[in-house]
Amino acid sequence: MTLLVSVVVAIVFGSGCYLLLKGDLFRVVAGTVLISNAAVLTLVGAGFTRGAAPIRPFPPGSEVSDPLVQALALTALIIGFGVTALLLTLAARVYASSRTVDLDQLSQIEATREDELEEAEA
Amino acid sequence: MSPSNVLPRAVARFLLLPIGMIAVALFVKGLSSTGDGFAAGTVAALGVALQYVVFGHREAERCLPVRRAPLAAVVGLALGIAIGFAPLLSGDPAFTHLPPAGEKVAKLGTLELATSVAFDAAIFLTVFGMVVGIVRELAWAAEQETEEA
Amino acid sequence: MTLDRRTVPTEAPEARTSEAGSATSDRTGRTAESGAAADGHPPARPDGPFPPAAALAATLAALAFAATLYAWLRGGGSIDLPWAPTLGLRLHFRLDALGALYALLATGIGAVVFLYSGRYLRLHLSHQGRPARDERSFYAFMLLFTVSMVGLATAQDLLLLFVFWDLTAIASYFLIGFDRHEAASWSGALMALLVTGITAVLLLVGSVMLFVAYGTFSLPEIIAEARPGPALTVAAALIALAGLAKSAQVPFHFWLPNAMAAPTPVSAYLHSAAMVAAGVLLIGRTYPLLQESELVLDGMLVVGLASMLAGGLIALTRERLKQVLAYSTVAQYGYMVALYGLGGAAGAAGGAFVVAAHALAKSALFMVSGAVTRASGGEERLGRLGGRWRTMPVVAGAGALAAAALAGLPLTAGFFKDELLFKAALEHGPVVTALVAAGPVLTLAYIGRFWGRIFLGSPKEAPTGPRSLATTLVAPIAVLALISLVFGLWTAPLESLAAEAGSVSLGGEPAGLSVAYHLDARATNLIALGVYTLGGLLLATYPRWLPVAQAFALVALRFGPERAYVSSLRQANRLSSALHRFEVRDLRRRVAAVLVPCGVLVTAGFLATPTLGQYEVGPLDGRDAPLAIVLALAAAAALAAMAPRSQLVLVLVLSSAGYSLAAVFALLGAPDVALVAVLVETLFALLFVAVFSLLPGGVLDREQSLSVPPSRRWRDPLIAVVSGLFALAVVWGTLSSPVPRGPRISERLIELAPAAHAQDVVTAILSDFRGLDTLAEATVLLIALAGVGGALSRARSS
Repeated sequence: MTLLVSVVVAIVFGSGCYLLLKGDLFRVVAGTVLISNAAVLTLVGAGFTRGAAPIRPFPPGSEVSDPLVQALALTALIIGFGVTALLLTLAARVYASSRTVDLDQLSQIEATREDELEEAEA
Repeated sequence: MSPSNVLPRAVARFLLLPIGMIAVALFVKGLSSTGDGFAAGTVAALGVALQYVVFGHREAERCLPVRRAPLAAVVGLALGIAIGFAPLLSGDPAFTHLPPAGEKVAKLGTLELATSVAFDAAIFLTVFGMVVGIVRELAWAAEQETEEA
Repeated sequence: MTLDRRTVPTEAPEARTSEAGSATSDRTGRTAESGAAADGHPPARPDGPFPPAAALAATLAALAFAATLYAWLRGGGSIDLPWAPTLGLRLHFRLDALGALYALLATGIGAVVFLYSGRYLRLHLSHQGRPARDERSFYAFMLLFTVSMVGLATAQDLLLLFVFWDLTAIASYFLIGFDRHEAASWSGALMALLVTGITAVLLLVGSVMLFVAYGTFSLPEIIAEARPGPALTVAAALIALAGLAKSAQVPFHFWLPNAMAAPTPVSAYLHSAAMVAAGVLLIGRTYPLLQESELVLDGMLVVGLASMLAGGLIALTRERLKQVLAYSTVAQYGYMVALYGLGGAAGAAGGAFVVAAHALAKSALFMVSGAVTRASGGEERLGRLGGRWRTMPVVAGAGALAAAALAGLPLTAGFFKDELLFKAALEHGPVVTALVAAGPVLTLAYIGRFWGRIFLGSPKEAPTGPRSLATTLVAPIAVLALISLVFGLWTAPLESLAAEAGSVSLGGEPAGLSVAYHLDARATNLIALGVYTLGGLLLATYPRWLPVAQAFALVALRFGPERAYVSSLRQANRLSSALHRFEVRDLRRRVAAVLVPCGVLVTAGFLATPTLGQYEVGPLDGRDAPLAIVLALAAAAALAAMAPRSQLVLVLVLSSAGYSLAAVFALLGAPDVALVAVLVETLFALLFVAVFSLLPGGVLDREQSLSVPPSRRWRDPLIAVVSGLFALAVVWGTLSSPVPRGPRISERLIELAPAAHAQDVVTAILSDFRGLDTLAEATVLLIALAGVGGALSRARSS
C-alpha cells in the first residue's frame, strides 16, 4: 500500500513536471495544479493509518487517522487554490498584453523589448 | 455568458437557498463534524459563482450583495488577526481561545460558542470574499471581452 | 551604468505595455515629464506661508530633543523588552552618555535643519518645476532617519544596532535620490546604499561571530566577558570596517562626494551630523571590544590619518561648494577615527567631543552653501561667486563663525577639537604629531578659501536669485554658529558630556577630559600656533600649491576606490545580464534548471545514505481494493493530462484526477480534506473555464500544433521521468520510515480537542492549536486576491 501511494504520487508529480515544461502558459499552470495535488496526497498519505475519521465520538476499537496531516493538507489545498487562481489570471494578463501564451514567442517578445530598451539607453 | 435558457435560470435561482443552507450547516457543524470555515466559505462562494455563470455579471450583482466581497476578505483577515493576537494583551500566548478549556460553554445546538467559532467565521469571510472577489473580477473581464467582440 | 535597465520597466509598467512598439523613448520621455510636473500638479511656489510639513517635522524633532535632554539630565534610563526570547534577543535601549550625545545631535540639529528645509525645499522644488506635494516624502524620510538615529544611539543589542543601521541606510537612499529624475542623484543614492549596505554585512558577520563566541547579542554582556584573542580581533575589525565605511573614511570615502547630489538640507543633516556620525558612533559603542586589539587601533589610526590628509588635499582643489564640504567631512571624520585609533582616555573622550564640535560647524556650513546657491539662482561654483557679503551679511558672519570653528580658531568649540587631537597625538611621538598637525593646516586653508571665494572679492556675476533671503533660511545658520561660539566660551556642558561618553566607550573607566584655555607655552598651544601660521601661509599662497593638490586629486579620482566600485558594479551587471539571458528568459529552461539539479542532488543524497531495506511495500489486502482502484484512476488521469491537444479536455482530465484524489482522501479517513478537495476542484474547473472564456477560441488549440524541435522531443519526457523517479524515492522513503514510538503529536491533539470545544479534531487544529498557520494561509489568499484584482484591472485598462 505504501508503495502504491508512492507510485501514484510519483506519477502525478511526473505528469505535472512534464506539463511545466510544455510550450504554453496554461499547461504550465495545469502542471502546478498536479504538483500541488501530489503534495497533498503525500501529506495525507503520511498520516496513513486507514483509521476512522478524527471526529468524536470515535468508533470503539478502531484506530484514528492522523488529524495533524489532514489539517496541513487542508491548508495546502486552499493555498494551492489561491496560487493557481493568481497564476491563471496572470496568464490571461500575459495574453492580453502580448496576444500569445506560447512561451517561445513570449521570450522572443521580451528579447526584442529588452534590446529596444538597451538601444534607448545607448 | 448570458444564456437565454429559462430552465437553468430558474434552477440557479432555486438552488441559491439550499446552497446557503449547506454552507451554514457546514459552518455550524464545523467543530463537531466534517466541515469548517473553509468548506462553508467555498460552498457559499460556489453558490454565488453559479449565479454569475447563469445570469452574467450585471444581473447577478443586481440581486446579490457581493459588490463588497474583497472588503469581506479584508475584514475577515483583520478579525482573524484580532482574535488570534488579542490574548497577547492580557499576557497569554497567541490563539488562547475563550472560554478556557474545561469550562462551561453556552451551547447552540451542537455548536459550543467559544472564540474559536469566531475565528472560524473570520476564515469563512476571508475565503468567501476571496473566491467571490476572483469570480467577480473574471466575470467583469469576460463581460468586457464580449462587449469588445 | 546599465543598472537602470532594471529600474525603468518597474517604474513605468504602464508605459511599457501600452506602447510596446515605441518603448524606445522611455527614458528621455521620463526626464522631460518629471521636470515639467506632468502629473497635473502645479509646480511649487517659492513664496507663500511656511510649509506645515516642515513646521510639524521641526516641532517633533525639537520635542524629541527636549525629551532626550530632560531624560538625560534626570540620569538617563533604559528600556529592556523581550523581543524574541527563544533567540535571546531583547529590545534593549539605554540612554547613556554616548547615546545621549548622538541622540541630542540627531534631534537638535534635526530640528534646526527641518526649519531650514521648509523654505529651502520650496525654492528647490520650484527651481525644478516640481509640485509642492513632493516634499511630503522628504519629511517622512527625514523623520524616519531621526528615529533610526536615536534608536541606533541608544541600542544596546548588536542585532538591534544592525536593524537601525540599515534603516538609516534606507532612509538615506531615498533622501539622496530625492531628485529622482536626475541620473547623478539616483546613482549617488545607489552608491551610498551599496557601500554602506554591503559593509553593513560586515557588522552583521562580526556580531554573529561575537554571538558564537559569547552566546549573546547584548553588548554590555559581551563587553563584560570579552577576552582578547584572534576571534575578537577579527570580529572587532569587521565591525570597525562597517563603521569606517559609514563615516566615509578612505578607502570607502567616495560615496560621500557623490551623495552631494542630495538637496542641501539632507547634506546639512545626514552628511555632517547623522549618517556619517553613525559610523563613529558604532566605533564609540563597540570601543571596549576594539581596543582589545592593538592591530585594530593602529589600523584605525592609519585610516584616520589617510582620510584627514587625502580629504583635506582634495577639498582644497574642489570647485563646487558642496564638494569642498564633502571632502572636508571625510577629513574631519578622519580626526575622530584617528582619535579613537590613538586610544586611551584622551582618544575616546576626544572622539566624542569632536563629533559634536564638527557637527555644529559643518551643518551650518552646508546650510551656508545652500543659502548662497539659492540666492544665486542655483550657482554652486566657487569661481562664479564672490563678494556675497554685501548682499547677505548675516550669512557671511555666521559662515565666518562656522568656518572658524571648523578651522579650530580660539573662542569656538572647534579650538578644543584640534587641541584634543594634538594632546592625544603627543603621547605617540613626533611623527604622529606632525602628521596629525597637517590636518588642521589643510583645514584652515580649504575652509578659508571656501569662505573667502564666496563672500570676499568682487561679484563675478550679478546675483539672480531672490533679493533677500527668508529669515528661516538664515536663522538656522546663525543659531548653529552661535552655539559653536557659546560652547567655545562656556565649555562645561560639552566637556562633561564628552567625558562621560568617553567613559562609556572605555567600558566604564573614567575618561578625564579637561577643556580650557591656557595662555602659556604648552605644547598644544605651540602646535596650534604653528598650524595657524602654516595654514595662513598655505591660504595666502595656495594658488602656487594648487597644481600639486590637483595632481593628487586627479590620481585619487582616476585610480582610487571609486573606479573599483564602478567597474565591479559593471561586472556584476554583466554577470546578471548573462545569467538572465541564459536562464531566466525562458521559463522552461528555468524550470528545468530547478528540477534537474534537484533530482540529481537528492538522488546523490539517497545513494550516499544506506536506506536500502528501509523501504517497505506495505500490506495490501482485500479491503484496500476500492482505495487501490481510485488511486489507479487518479494516476491514469494524471498520465492522460499529458496528452490532450485541446485545453478544455485538459481541464476535464485535471478535474477527474482531482476528484479521484478526493475519493482517495475520503477512503483514507480524511473527510474534511475530501470535502474541501471536491470544492476546490470544482472551483478550479470553473476558474479555468472562466479564464478560457477570456481568450479567443483559436488560441487554445493552436499551441500544440506548433512544431516541436527534435532536441526537445526527448528532453521533456526525460526530465519528467527523472523528476517522477525523484518524487518516488523521496515519498516512498518518507512514507515507509517507521513511525517513532512513544507519544505522538497527533495523539495529544486528539486528546486535547474536547478541551478546545471541538469534536472534529481537524477543525480544532485549524482554528485553535495551529491557528497561526491558518491565519498565514488567509493572508496568502488575500494577497492572491489582490494580485488577481491588480492583474485583471490592468488588463481592463490597457
